[in-house]
Amino acid sequence: MTREEIKTAILVFFRKEFEIENPGMEDNLREVHGFDSIDAIELLLEIEKLLGSELTHEEKKRAMDIQNLNQVCDYVESLAKVRNIGNGQVKGVIT
Amino acid sequence: MERRVVITACSAITPIGRTKKDILDSLVNGISGVKVLREDDVLTPYIHSKVFGTVDYPITYDFKRQYRKTMGPVAYYACQVAKEVLESAGLDEAFVTGGRLGVAFGSTHGSPTVQRGIYKTFFSGSQAGYSSIGAVDYLKSMVHTTAVNITKMFGITGRVISSSTACTTSSQSIGYGYEMVKYGMQDAMICGGADEYDTTTVAVFDNLLACSTAFNDTPHLTPRPFDTKRDGLVVGEGAGAVLLEEYERARKRGASILAEVIGFSCNNNGGDLILPNLGGISETIRLGLKDAKIPADDMDFISAHATGTKMGDVIEAQAIHNVYGGRPAVTGFKSYMGHTMGSCGAIETIIMTYLLAEGFVVPTLNLEEVDERCAMINLVRVRRECPLRIAAIQNFAFGGVNTSLIIKKWEGR
Repeated sequence: MTREEIKTAILVFFRKEFEIENPGMEDNLREVHGFDSIDAIELLLEIEKLLGSELTHEEKKRAMDIQNLNQVCDYVESLAKVRNIGNGQVKGVIT
Repeated sequence: MERRVVITACSAITPIGRTKKDILDSLVNGISGVKVLREDDVLTPYIHSKVFGTVDYPITYDFKRQYRKTMGPVAYYACQVAKEVLESAGLDEAFVTGGRLGVAFGSTHGSPTVQRGIYKTFFSGSQAGYSSIGAVDYLKSMVHTTAVNITKMFGITGRVISSSTACTTSSQSIGYGYEMVKYGMQDAMICGGADEYDTTTVAVFDNLLACSTAFNDTPHLTPRPFDTKRDGLVVGEGAGAVLLEEYERARKRGASILAEVIGFSCNNNGGDLILPNLGGISETIRLGLKDAKIPADDMDFISAHATGTKMGDVIEAQAIHNVYGGRPAVTGFKSYMGHTMGSCGAIETIIMTYLLAEGFVVPTLNLEEVDERCAMINLVRVRRECPLRIAAIQNFAFGGVNTSLIIKKWEGR
């Protein structure tokens, strides 16, 4: 799972589900786009679909410090590495 | 301290229309909003009653995603009527968000559509598992979802009351809102109720043999409150909201006053949770008059709960006769739209506000041959002009909860 694949999937989700078009990768999601705790939980569910596996409580707690899209991609990338998900192996489809 | 409380705005989504004009047209022309029960692909094949009070016209919502994301269908209804009430009233934003405006709003049981989705995940053999329940599912389905989605959308910071007492949900909302303003806890309250299309409610009443089944091929002929051929209630959907304001505040800001709320009562039968109770209902009516500080003879027009069940209509007629005798006009508005459950009290209050202002009464739809056990009260049989000054809205719910709201025509002071 490449960084670009992750970024594309996340941006599609942000556009379709959060109605956030072309967000800056360094935008503070809460301050710029009104992203709140409910959105964060919804995003975690989508990340689970993308990875094809459930996140542990510890992994979910780590996500609470995320503030921008680059950090979201970092987070997914690290989770994919732990799960040995290779390039081109996007598991789920982010709807 | 007791303050006067007035209605300064109202809005409804009903099976017989949205606007005052549409609703009055349906009432005057005897148009029913009861249609064939929509398919849900789950329960409808098993339900004997195939009729439903249906909202079948499009409603355009323009809610932003930040509000939509915590809303099930019932909250869409609630927020839409609340939005229209606030727009119509023209309250300034500082007041709306300042803590002196509260919300009293409820529904029978949150959003059954959302709850059904949760159960489907669990019982369909899906591998999606525990975490597939969306974070917002609770916010969409909880019993106070209507009230708090309203507060969120408009930034309202005052009190929140969220009744969830089935058929008395929104009459309690209005009654408790009235008391909030009357006794000075709030200066205004958005009050009402909503319920979405839901076949579980139909199934519950169907299993209790309380639903109408004899008119499945002619839905517009049922329910038939007080009629000899009545065979049960018809479940429906809808929403209603009113804005209650303290009179002096409303007058000073030049608000258009639609009616005054002068009395409210609520009690419980203290026993059976299903059967109507003559003593309990009669007492509610008496307590309402006491709160309004008026004699029974002052009552002009009664919106009866009148669901069209065999027993309920007779008990209600007896209770009306016990307290009021045979003078006030009586109509059952569920005959036009079915039983809109959590919203019926608000919708019926709005209808009575319209009719007080217009000065005419309409008959109970489908009332062709009056059950002789109900004939001692003054059931309206034809539309007629008549001076109306004071009206009551009666509602009774599963759980033995009874309410009576009393409103007065606004005569300029």
